[in-house]
Amino acid sequence: MNTDFDAIVVGSGITGGWAAKELTERGLKVLMVERGRHIEHGTDYVTEMKAPWEMPFRGEGDPQLFEKDFAVQSKNRHFTEYTQNHFVNDRENPYSVADGTQFNWWRSYQLGGRSLTWGRQSYRMSDHDFGANKKDGHGVDWPIRYADLKPWYDHVEKFIGVSGQNEGLSSLPDGIYQPPMALNVLEKHAKGVIEAQWPDRRLTIGRTANLTQEKEGRGVCQNRMLCPRGCSYGAYFSTQSSTLPAAQATGNLTLITDTVVETVDYDAKAKRARGVSVLNVKTGERRRYTARIIFMNAGAFNTNHVLLRSRSEAFPNGLGNSSGRLGTHIMDHASTVGAIALFDTFQDRTSYGNRPTGVIIPRFRNLADQPETDFVRGYSFQGGALRSTWTRGKREAGIGEAFKNNLRHVGPWRMVLVSFAESLPRESNRLRLDPVKVDQFGAPLLQIDFTHGENERKALTDASKEASAMLTAAGGKVILSLNQPGIGGSAIHEMGGAMMGHDPRISVTNRWNQLHDVPNVFVTDGAAMASSACQNPSLTYMALTARACDNAVTMLKQGRI
Amino acid sequence: MPTLDHPPGTSRRHLLRAGLALAGAALTPAQVWAQLAQAGGAPAPLPARMRQLLERVCDLTIPDTATPGAVKAGVPDFIALALQHGLARTGRPPPADQFSGGAAPAGAGWLDWLGFELDLKAGGNFLAAKPAAQTKALSDLDAAAYAKGGEKSPWRTWKGLIVTGYYTSEIGGSQELFFELVPGRFDPDIPVGPNDRAWSNDWTAVDFG
Repeated sequence: MNTDFDAIVVGSGITGGWAAKELTERGLKVLMVERGRHIEHGTDYVTEMKAPWEMPFRGEGDPQLFEKDFAVQSKNRHFTEYTQNHFVNDRENPYSVADGTQFNWWRSYQLGGRSLTWGRQSYRMSDHDFGANKKDGHGVDWPIRYADLKPWYDHVEKFIGVSGQNEGLSSLPDGIYQPPMALNVLEKHAKGVIEAQWPDRRLTIGRTANLTQEKEGRGVCQNRMLCPRGCSYGAYFSTQSSTLPAAQATGNLTLITDTVVETVDYDAKAKRARGVSVLNVKTGERRRYTARIIFMNAGAFNTNHVLLRSRSEAFPNGLGNSSGRLGTHIMDHASTVGAIALFDTFQDRTSYGNRPTGVIIPRFRNLADQPETDFVRGYSFQGGALRSTWTRGKREAGIGEAFKNNLRHVGPWRMVLVSFAESLPRESNRLRLDPVKVDQFGAPLLQIDFTHGENERKALTDASKEASAMLTAAGGKVILSLNQPGIGGSAIHEMGGAMMGHDPRISVTNRWNQLHDVPNVFVTDGAAMASSACQNPSLTYMALTARACDNAVTMLKQGRI
Repeated sequence: MPTLDHPPGTSRRHLLRAGLALAGAALTPAQVWAQLAQAGGAPAPLPARMRQLLERVCDLTIPDTATPGAVKAGVPDFIALALQHGLARTGRPPPADQFSGGAAPAGAGWLDWLGFELDLKAGGNFLAAKPAAQTKALSDLDAAAYAKGGEKSPWRTWKGLIVTGYYTSEIGGSQELFFELVPGRFDPDIPVGPNDRAWSNDWTAVDFG
């Protein structure tokens, strides 16, 4: 097998797929290296069409297996008996946390990575976000602004297909959307009440990478909401449904699976990376691949892990780490249940079909020049309204025929708002190589040292009050409202560690996502994030990747890297 | 599947092993392991009285009406499997302070708790009581569990298992309620009447409802 390529892409998830597509379409011969197993689109989605009674544990899963092999993954709401094959085995893939801290690291090691299991919410970041670090002094100023990324958001949205509604908000820029999914009757009512009482707030349908119109051989969403099982209709964006077939169609892609990148190899004389050293996790075989450029798309923390492991005389603390900041300023949105309320209205109305998105209330706090609260930046809400179903029977008194007949019918409306607060970039929140523990191949484990801060707690406290106020105004009776964040990692938006910045002394990557120290290595997954904003980040990772690929090929052609 | 005809200790795995011993070298080791692995997925049979108790409680909770109830839907088998694997945090025994009188018999499990409490409520052998007395005993247990202060009652776990077992069965999910794996559309606002059946795979409602 050929071992020399124009480009190597490390990882096959959301950004790895994008890097492979963009680079191969520009004529580069690309090797994509995936540490997990191969999953074929459609045929390998083995639980996709299963009813609960066709599953050994009715979809609930085997607790003994979960405790043994999925101790962390099984805490994720999206992890079920149907989806357990799309999450990593914790026992075989350990990580560590710093003393006194906790972090739930939810991972998918497989072809397609977390593109198979992601939440599909697709939002642009605004200049409120790109300017935040400079404005309040937390973290390092982003070296780009919205105008730099706008054409690439356009490019990505057009290709992946995002349904949503343009709203003209400064905190959540408009995009290029397929027709939006509809609000149900209670959401529509709540929207009217909230926007009338708080004119600076907007309730809108979630912008989701589920198709409402066919495109390029992909079918429209069937309203099953079984997405994390895999979708043979190709109705949501994943590597398998979208970027991988595009890359393969060029004839320029070589894909290897079950192969973990152990290190990025550095040529001290040439002052550039020469390639990667890999390990086949099935055979134990080690080999090297070489390339002119390398794209790091292993997922934010694993990209950090590979770079930290890539130690050499020139970079004794990890590749591209002359600043000492590699692994620092990691983030994850602080989230919790803002409020849940019961409603006794609209009892003669319901909805039909599983809509694969909820509603959002974008950030409305601290958008003016002067802060208006005791915390900086802001939060957003995601949620929705529903009529309860049979699961309420677990919480209600009664037995016998009357009990059964009651559960035969839909229950009352309830509405949920989940708060997502921005996670400030702090140097103390960081990744490092565990000084003692190693994995089955002898490599040091990744150690995560993360805690939410006071700013996040204040933001969630405010969010709790505001969520309760809005649902009460809409006529609901609030039954639960929380204001403390879940364990780090709970938002599954972990990011940072190789943050972009102008200054090589205090940041790791430049405005084109190149390592300051090693310009032929590009970090374009969540590791490059300099701040978190308070919206779902994957669309930004994709746009950064497409932009960096375009620039990398231009620089290659010009002989600049 | 386990039945009342199987005495305790004669699990499918045990029978399989006995059969394999008689078969001698007729099977390869790979076949032996494959069959053992397959047998491992089935719940061990419950002692007859326990099985009888489980079936009676399932029947009282979700009886036959116009549609079959919990027993015909196979809920007792689901619960036997659930208890064997510790579903719904049943891997640990019920807390000792949840036994009336505050003293748990040594080694008492979830079925022991159920039988113990129902015998107390029935004023004797629950299974030997008349149907009306059984209904009253279980109703009393249920009412206490859902009254203030009953939050930790093991009956809530039992009720959860019965409800889950029934509405995720083919009978409960697709005959008693309505099931459609591929709706193919989203109707945001449609009328619903008092006689319309709920939809068992409204996944958002299953998670948050």
